[in-house]
Amino acid sequence: MSKSARLIAPAVVAALLLAVPIALPHAEYLLDIFFLVFLYGTMATSWNVLGGFTGQVSFGHAAFLGIGAYATALLTAAGWPLLATFPAGGALAALFSLLIGPPAFRLRGPYFAIATIGIGEASRLIALNWSSLTGGASGVTLNSAPSVVAQYYTAFAVCAGAVAATAWIKASRFGYALAAVRSDPDAAETLGVDTTIAKTQALLISAFMLGVAGGVYAMHNLYVSPDSTFGFSTSISLVIMPIIGGIGTIFGPLLGAAIFTGLREQLEANPFLAKYSLDLSVFGLLLCAIVLFEPRGLLGVFDRLTGLLRRKPPVARPLESTGSTRG
Amino acid sequence: MQDTVATLISALLGAGLYATMSYGLALIYGVMKIINLANAGVLMLGAYVTWWMWDGFALNPLLAPLIILPAFYLFGVVLERIAVRRVLEQEPIVSLLLLFGVWLILQNIAYAVWTGDTRSIETPFVEATFKIWGIQLALPRVYVFVAGALTLAVLQLFLTKTQFGRAIRAVAQDREAARLAGIDVDRIYSAAFGLGIALSAFAGSLLSLIFPFGPDFGQTLQLKSFCIVVLGGLESFVGVAFGAIVLSLAEAFGLRWMPASYQNLISFVLLVVVLIAFPKGIAGLLRSLRRV
Repeated sequence: MSKSARLIAPAVVAALLLAVPIALPHAEYLLDIFFLVFLYGTMATSWNVLGGFTGQVSFGHAAFLGIGAYATALLTAAGWPLLATFPAGGALAALFSLLIGPPAFRLRGPYFAIATIGIGEASRLIALNWSSLTGGASGVTLNSAPSVVAQYYTAFAVCAGAVAATAWIKASRFGYALAAVRSDPDAAETLGVDTTIAKTQALLISAFMLGVAGGVYAMHNLYVSPDSTFGFSTSISLVIMPIIGGIGTIFGPLLGAAIFTGLREQLEANPFLAKYSLDLSVFGLLLCAIVLFEPRGLLGVFDRLTGLLRRKPPVARPLESTGSTRG
Repeated sequence: MQDTVATLISALLGAGLYATMSYGLALIYGVMKIINLANAGVLMLGAYVTWWMWDGFALNPLLAPLIILPAFYLFGVVLERIAVRRVLEQEPIVSLLLLFGVWLILQNIAYAVWTGDTRSIETPFVEATFKIWGIQLALPRVYVFVAGALTLAVLQLFLTKTQFGRAIRAVAQDREAARLAGIDVDRIYSAAFGLGIALSAFAGSLLSLIFPFGPDFGQTLQLKSFCIVVLGGLESFVGVAFGAIVLSLAEAFGLRWMPASYQNLISFVLLVVVLIAFPKGIAGLLRSLRRV
C-alpha cells in the first residue's frame, strides 16, 4: 500500500461507519454489533499501548476498565452529565495506574505479567468488599441509556480517538522510545531512554483510554458488578484481542476485537457452541497457533498472503528477507 | 493459647497443601526457566479426573493418583514435544502466552465434559474428623499434609540420589555445561515438564478431597502458587515448602486483623512485596546474607 492509500483507506472506512446509522437507523442489532466492536476495539487498542508497543504484557488490565465503569455508574447517579463522566473515569484509572506502575515496573517480563494478575485480582476484591462505595457483589445499576444511535456514535468517537492516539504515538519519538524498551530495555537505557518513565507513561495512556472505555461499557450495559468489569475474564479478553489481530500494530487490535465480537455473537446464537463453551478453545487454539507460527497475528497472516500475491522481482528477494525479522 | 495452637496447626496443614500445588511450577521453572501459566488448568483437571473416577467408576479417590500421575506425565511430555519446546529460546513472555492458551483449552475441556457445575467428592473419609488435644481436625486435611510432605521427601531423594534426578539438577544449574557433559538436554526438558504437570495434577487430585471445584478452579490458587514459588526463590523444593509455610502462616494470622473476604489479598500483597523487596526470594535473601 502506498503512503497516501494508508491515510485514505482509514478515512474512507471511518466515513462509511459514520454513515451506517443514517442509512440504517432501525437496524438495532447491527448497530449493537458495531457498538461492541468499537468498545472492544477501544479496549484492545488501550491494552496494546502497553502490551504491544512497550512489550509489557498485563493480565490485570480489567482493573482500569472497572474503575472507569464504576466512575460512570456512580457519577451519573450523583447527577453528573453522562459525557462528563467518561474523562473523569479515565482520569481516575490513570491515577490508579500511577499508584501501581512504579512498583510493578521494577519487575521484568514474566514477573511483571504475574504481578499484574495479582493487581487485577486485588482490585476485584476491593471492589467486591468496599460495599459502601461500590454496592458490593450486587453492583450498581444505571438509570437510563442514550438511544442506540447515540451510543453508536459515542463508541465510534471513543474508538476513533483511541486509534488515532495510538497511530500518533507509534510514529512519535515517544513511540520509538517504547519500541526500544520492548526490544531491549538495557540498550534503551544506555541510549538515554528512562525505561521506567517510558513504561509508566505508556501505562498511564493505556489506563486512561481503558477508563473511558469502562464508561462506555457502563453506559451500554446499565449495570456494573465487580465480576463483570474487574473479573479475570475481562483481563483475558484484553490480552486475546490484540494478540489475535496483531500485537503492536495500529489496526490489529481492532481486527482482533471484530473477530472476538463475531465469535461471541456466534456463541450466543449457536446452542452447540454455547453448550460446550467452545469460545475458550477457539481463543486458546488461536493464541497457541499465533504464538507458535505467526507472532504478528492475523495481520501478519494477511501480510504474508498479499506478499504471495504480489510477485516481487527475484533480485530483491534476499535483501527483503534479511531486512524483515519475524515477531 | 488454645486458639493460637489451633491456628498454627491449621496453618501448617494448609502449608502442606500449598507446597504440593507449587512443586510442579517450581520444577518447570527451575529446569526450563519458563512459568507454567497452565498450572491452574492442570490442577483443575486433576481434581476433575479424581472426581470423575469416583463418581463414574466408584474408584476410591485416594487411589486416583495411580492413574493421574502417569496419564498427566504423558500429557506433559507430549505438550512439551509439540509446543513448549518451540518457544523455549524466545522471550519469556512467548511461552507465558502459549501456556495461557493451553490453560484456556484445558478450561474448555472441563466445561465441555463436565459442565460448569460445582463438584465435590463425598466419601466417609472426606467427611471424617478427629480430635487431638482438644483440637478438631479434618482427616483429609491431615492426609493431604502427609502426602505433601512425602512428595517433598520423594522428590528430594529423586533429585539427589538418582542418576536421572542429578541430570535434571545439572540442566537446571547450567544447560550448556550439562550438554557438554553428555546429558541429553531435550530429553530432560520433556521429563521435567511431564513431571511438573504430573505433580500439579496430583496436587489437584488432593485438593479435590478438601474443596469443591468447577472449571475456573485454581485461579486464585495459581496466584498463591506463584507467591509461594517466588517466596521460595523459584528453584528449590525446600524453598517452596518454606514459602508455603510463610504464606499459610501469614494468611492464618492475618485473618485475625482483617475480614475473611480479604484473605486472598494477603498472598497478592506478599507476592508484590517479595518481588519488589527481594527479587531472589526469601531463600535468596538468606543465602546472600550468609555470604556477607
